[in-house]
Amino acid sequence: MRALRRFLNRVINLARRREQDERLREEIEEHIALQATENLRTGLSPVEARRQAMLKFGGVEAMKQDYRAERGLLFIENLLGDLRNAGRTIRRMPGLAAVIIVSLAIGIGVNTTIFSWIQMILFQPLPGVSGASNFLLVEPRTETGGYPGASWLEYRALRTQVPALRDIVAFQVVPFQRGETGQTERTFGQLVSGNYFSALGLKPAIGRFIRPEEAERPGTEPVIVISYDFWQTRFGGAPGVVGQKLRVNERDLIVIGVAPREFQGTMLPLKFELWAPATLAPALLGGTRDLEDRSIRAFSLIGMLRAGATREEAQAELSTAMAQLARDYPEASAGIGGEILPFWSAPRGPQRMLISGLAILQGVMLLLLLAVCGNTANLMLARGSTRQREMAVRVALGAGRWRIVSLVLSENMLLALLGTSLGAAIAVWGTMALRVAPMIGAFPIRFQTRVDELTLSLAILLGAACGLIFSAAPAVHLARLDPQDGLRSSSNTPPRSRARKVLMGVEVGLAMVVLIAAALFLQSFRSARQTDPRFRPEGVLLAAYDLSGRNPDEASEREFAARLLERLRSLPDVEAAAIATNVPLDLHGIPARSFTVQGRVRTEAGQDITISNTVTPGYFKVMAIPLLEGNDFAEMGDRAAPAQAIVNEEFVRLYLNGADAIGRRLQTSEGSFAIIGVARNAVYNAFGEPAQPAVYFSYRDLPAIQGEIHLRTRGGNETALTSEARAVLRDLDPMLPLYDVRTFSQHIERNLYLRRIPARMFVVLGPLLLGLAAIGIYAVVSYAVARRTREIGVRLAFGATSGRVVLQIIRENLGAITWGTAIGWALALVISVRAITKGVINLPVFIGVPAILLGVATLACWIPARRASRIDPMAALRHE
Amino acid sequence: MVLKTLDVLGPLHGYGIARRIEQISGDLLAVNQGTLYPVLLKLEQEGAIASEWGASENNRRARFYRLTREGRKQLQVETQDWEQTAAIIARFFEVKTEDLP
Repeated sequence: MRALRRFLNRVINLARRREQDERLREEIEEHIALQATENLRTGLSPVEARRQAMLKFGGVEAMKQDYRAERGLLFIENLLGDLRNAGRTIRRMPGLAAVIIVSLAIGIGVNTTIFSWIQMILFQPLPGVSGASNFLLVEPRTETGGYPGASWLEYRALRTQVPALRDIVAFQVVPFQRGETGQTERTFGQLVSGNYFSALGLKPAIGRFIRPEEAERPGTEPVIVISYDFWQTRFGGAPGVVGQKLRVNERDLIVIGVAPREFQGTMLPLKFELWAPATLAPALLGGTRDLEDRSIRAFSLIGMLRAGATREEAQAELSTAMAQLARDYPEASAGIGGEILPFWSAPRGPQRMLISGLAILQGVMLLLLLAVCGNTANLMLARGSTRQREMAVRVALGAGRWRIVSLVLSENMLLALLGTSLGAAIAVWGTMALRVAPMIGAFPIRFQTRVDELTLSLAILLGAACGLIFSAAPAVHLARLDPQDGLRSSSNTPPRSRARKVLMGVEVGLAMVVLIAAALFLQSFRSARQTDPRFRPEGVLLAAYDLSGRNPDEASEREFAARLLERLRSLPDVEAAAIATNVPLDLHGIPARSFTVQGRVRTEAGQDITISNTVTPGYFKVMAIPLLEGNDFAEMGDRAAPAQAIVNEEFVRLYLNGADAIGRRLQTSEGSFAIIGVARNAVYNAFGEPAQPAVYFSYRDLPAIQGEIHLRTRGGNETALTSEARAVLRDLDPMLPLYDVRTFSQHIERNLYLRRIPARMFVVLGPLLLGLAAIGIYAVVSYAVARRTREIGVRLAFGATSGRVVLQIIRENLGAITWGTAIGWALALVISVRAITKGVINLPVFIGVPAILLGVATLACWIPARRASRIDPMAALRHE
Repeated sequence: MVLKTLDVLGPLHGYGIARRIEQISGDLLAVNQGTLYPVLLKLEQEGAIASEWGASENNRRARFYRLTREGRKQLQVETQDWEQTAAIIARFFEVKTEDLP
């Protein structure tokens, strides 16, 4: 109680310092006066009386100090004093402070931005959905480790059989043609289960959401929910939108509601605009058998953990349920288990692509921040040694070691604080820049990243950690200072600071690791693009058409494709033309299907799965994929030939043990096919993937409602074919649009889009880091040189040439730098060999990067050394 | 000591307190008088004494300290404490070896 009152009084006194000082002064004055009067009475002279009085009183200043310590909170008073002092110090060195603050700000800003991204994936995997981190992915998993997705019937079964999950929802990504035929607009939407919106806990902005009974049986009420953005841009946000008709894929759907503003669908970072009941699939997707066929695994499932249930329980229940399904439907589900996974470990899809890059990026950026810290520590240390005198005076006047440390600390913390604030501003700007929806070709993306309390606390934490890291060396150095030495030695006999050189080495070493990481990342990114995809994308134009809504039968689909091809091939600039259902290196991936092949008996349970694409004859010519054996498919008009299939090398190796494939029969859910050829392997889903087994079917046997036109130009620019292709299609069907026209190269760029963002960051940050290292070295060397002016002057006076002086300075500093580089290089090498390239050393990177770094370092040493060697020896000697 | 002084003599200024302590202790406790002021401040901040400006013997402004009710209570407690302690110590000095059982 008493202690509390004392404390409160102290706090109050903080504000009344001046007044209180005045009071004390007056009291002392009075005391001494009284004592002097008394002494006078004992017969002393007035002067002696006062002297005795003062002697009796004791040391006034020491007493005042005690008094102040008793009165206020010394700690805070000191802190305020230190901060004021720090502010003054920083103002006196604007250039240095600017370098430190800006480099810190960049380090912290970049880290925070990346963290806001990672955080979005970790904690807000479903924007607009509260408690999104409680949702888990439910992923069927094949025994070979693939994640094929779930079929609709599987979903219906799982819904009731995993009670640990409150409600499992299913969704599928679908492209939609919105509008009247001829003037359609392509958007993306999701076909969803009836419980989708209720399980996500969403409230419509207006209207209502899909009711469970509307997604029970096919052919139920044709309804659709639109996104907030879609409502705003297409309907001007009019409330009358509910109940209006929206023409989608040649069907009239009734808009029943608008999703909340933040909601963008359930597949980060893609942004969807329309949500329709899954049961509309046959109507919207031209009679697809998604809803009945257990081997069509088109849906993704997510579910929210019931309160009190654990992931392990859910996993156990899912495994049981999947095992039951495998027993009940062996032809479609044998060997398929299931996994419950959090969003951040999504095994497939765009989330997966995003996360892997981000993790590496964050690691490297933290290293970068550490390098910045090393740099700053070095600058501060260099500056600190010019302040030895000041500190020596302080110590001599009675400042304790801790006061010195706290002085240095407060200076650095102020710098760190400024850097952090600027860094936070950069992070805010960075996340804003990310929010501006970029388009991956036709696929809209939306990042709802933001700087919230968590990211901000990370920024502050980083800032504080940096401040501490780069304060440590100078603080320790100055606190250990012997005041006598400090005062005696004049400023031109520098103690050789080993700490500074070690720090310089460490900084360069860190820079080395980061630069090599950046270079390797860029290299792998570039080489991914330069990897031979084993087909030839150059000179190929892609365009899509879609007959959905015409409700064509198979014959007319086949007929249409045949006529289209015939016309396209007759174009003078077209060397070859083909149609396929899928394009390699697509964001969605090429679908896989299960099959059995003659001559292969599976020993264990389960089923064989292969990538499959349906193509017209001529496809291999357009793609420049050579047929190693056999022939191309029979012409589209050929009605006599049996159903055909072409497999690739890997298929033969994996499933037929390299035996002759031609003539064997391949059985799928869609019929029996005769293998007529073997094609060379190609890249299907990603650059750098291991060889994948693949089967090509013929468009003639399995015509599809939509197709991707592949056109190989006869030379010249493939984009020139666009208008001709459009004209051809218009001729055939004036109302049918050609959409998603792009060159194959553009198509590949899209696929690499998500990986390109980190690559770009490296491109910007690599040189920046190099610059920082150069500034660090420069500052250290120039400080050291400035303090040796007299020594250099003496040397010059005794006849040393300026060249020798320069050489000597460079040699002295380059030693530490070389050590740092070597250690960083070795570290990077170990990491690279162990983790990234698995034994392969990227020679150009491992030679080039150190060469550049050493070059820059030498330059950074050379400039101040040269300046020092140019001084007039007389002036230098007179200097003191 | 400060509290007792103020208890006996009523409101006093710093010099008065210092003198009084010197007198009572028979000049045995003639420490630097300056050290008194931090102690006064501590007591004041704890609420045991209060202070206000008044006129000194020289007719100059001086700070007068007086005991508060709380200070009086504290004095009582401390007096008791001290007496107890002193009594215990005294007993230790009185006891001789042969007194022990």
